[in-house]
Amino acid sequence: MGEKVCVLGAGSTKYGKLNESIIEIALNASKDAINSAGISPRDIKAGYISNVFGVTDKQVHMAPVIMSNLGIPEVPGLTIESACGSGSVMFREAYANIAAGFYDCIIAIGVEKITHTGTVESTTLFSYCSDFFYEGGNGASFPGLFGSMARAYLATHKATEEDLARIAVKNHENGYLNPKAHIRKKITIDDVLKSPVVASPLKLYDCCPFSDGASAVILCNEEFAKKIGKPYVEVIGSGRGASPAAVQSRKDITTIPSTVNAAQQAYKMANVSPKDIDFVEVHDCFTIAELIDIEDLGFFPKGAGAQAVREGRTTLKGDIPVNPSGGLKSKGHPIGATGIGQVVEVFDQFTNNAGERTVKNAHIAMTHNFGATGASASVHIFRKVE
Amino acid sequence: MSKVKTEKESSRDQFVDCAKNGKILINQCTKCNNLNLETVYFCDKCFNNSFTQVAFNGYGKVITYTIQSVVPEGFEDVESYAWVVFKLDECDLNVSGFLPKISSPNDLPLGTSIKVVGFDVKHGLVLEKSAV
Repeated sequence: MGEKVCVLGAGSTKYGKLNESIIEIALNASKDAINSAGISPRDIKAGYISNVFGVTDKQVHMAPVIMSNLGIPEVPGLTIESACGSGSVMFREAYANIAAGFYDCIIAIGVEKITHTGTVESTTLFSYCSDFFYEGGNGASFPGLFGSMARAYLATHKATEEDLARIAVKNHENGYLNPKAHIRKKITIDDVLKSPVVASPLKLYDCCPFSDGASAVILCNEEFAKKIGKPYVEVIGSGRGASPAAVQSRKDITTIPSTVNAAQQAYKMANVSPKDIDFVEVHDCFTIAELIDIEDLGFFPKGAGAQAVREGRTTLKGDIPVNPSGGLKSKGHPIGATGIGQVVEVFDQFTNNAGERTVKNAHIAMTHNFGATGASASVHIFRKVE
Repeated sequence: MSKVKTEKESSRDQFVDCAKNGKILINQCTKCNNLNLETVYFCDKCFNNSFTQVAFNGYGKVITYTIQSVVPEGFEDVESYAWVVFKLDECDLNVSGFLPKISSPNDLPLGTSIKVVGFDVKHGLVLEKSAV
């Protein structure tokens, strides 16, 4: 690649049920990112927005609206949609434009507002992200699609519903330490196992919440970052992958090919391996997703993820902390914002802003975010600049 | 299985018509014989776009499924059902569909035989447990 790409600033709203409009939510995160970077809006040369369901809050084509309200209506913006993976896809596009030398400074904003639609409408809207002819159209909700993946996994590998519950408990422990998390509540394995079944075998506490929220980061080239003189993080690896859109078309339902491919690309580009990663933010929309992710990303062999979870290896003090932010499960899942929220967590960790959930002695981190059931995925690797 | 005549309607419409007769319409690549669902426009092995249509019997075995407590709009009128992925008995392809009257995992062990019994405009590919 050409220019080195850096993350110079980051900001997030609290995730949860928010009363502001989708544009106001986006602007709040943007303002924090701009202040965090120590820049002025006039330094921004382009705006990248990720969003899926803006239409439900009566706003599409939101990039120009956001740019105008940041005081830079002349700055070009665009909006990118890739279901729940929108944020990371958008981040990669922003990354590529800095690396290619088109711009020296970009604001990347992920935003979603969905809780006003209610559970049934949200469930329906999310089902439109599936291969609808075969999935949503036959009655599958997103919890249902992941429920079917969970049933296949539990039947194939050495894992139990209690192992899935352990993942939820761990992420709630981490999210409890995150002031911006949607659900700051410690739970027990019993709480998970006794919670109502949403889509068998997944129960309520196996599922992430529907969230509103926004996250924003400032990307720039190295020269720009050094000129500003604030702490920054370098992006050293980027990969994207794809899988058959429909679960039925995958040879193995217990793995997500897009994750495997994106991770391989990112590792190669960064010249690191899984053992070099000090912590990872993964796409845990459901507990089964985290179990599959940690294997597909190469941290554990296929089928060995549950044992690793049982041994506490993915906790904050484990050898590969997974989702120190609380993940989608506890921090929340405003789908257009999630991929950028993961980058915000890396930035906060590497700039001493993660408080009690700080992963000690961390220098290399990874983010992993996918769309739908993994039809698309992006993986990024970051290096702390000392 | 039986060969069917190509008609000038959309691939999805043809798939639906076949499903209404209890069959799954498959595109068999004329170059490499790879099997794809009817809705695929290019062979995913050799990228050829010339196919012979083959209608396979809609019998298969359940490889995974779920039963949901919150369902998408259009399915609220169904008391309970499973969304099922099944492997066709006559070829190595998976299809998914809607299996009504399933309320507990005890009703549907993995490997259960099922069959396609129709296509409903509201509920999609309709399945039924099969004795075979």
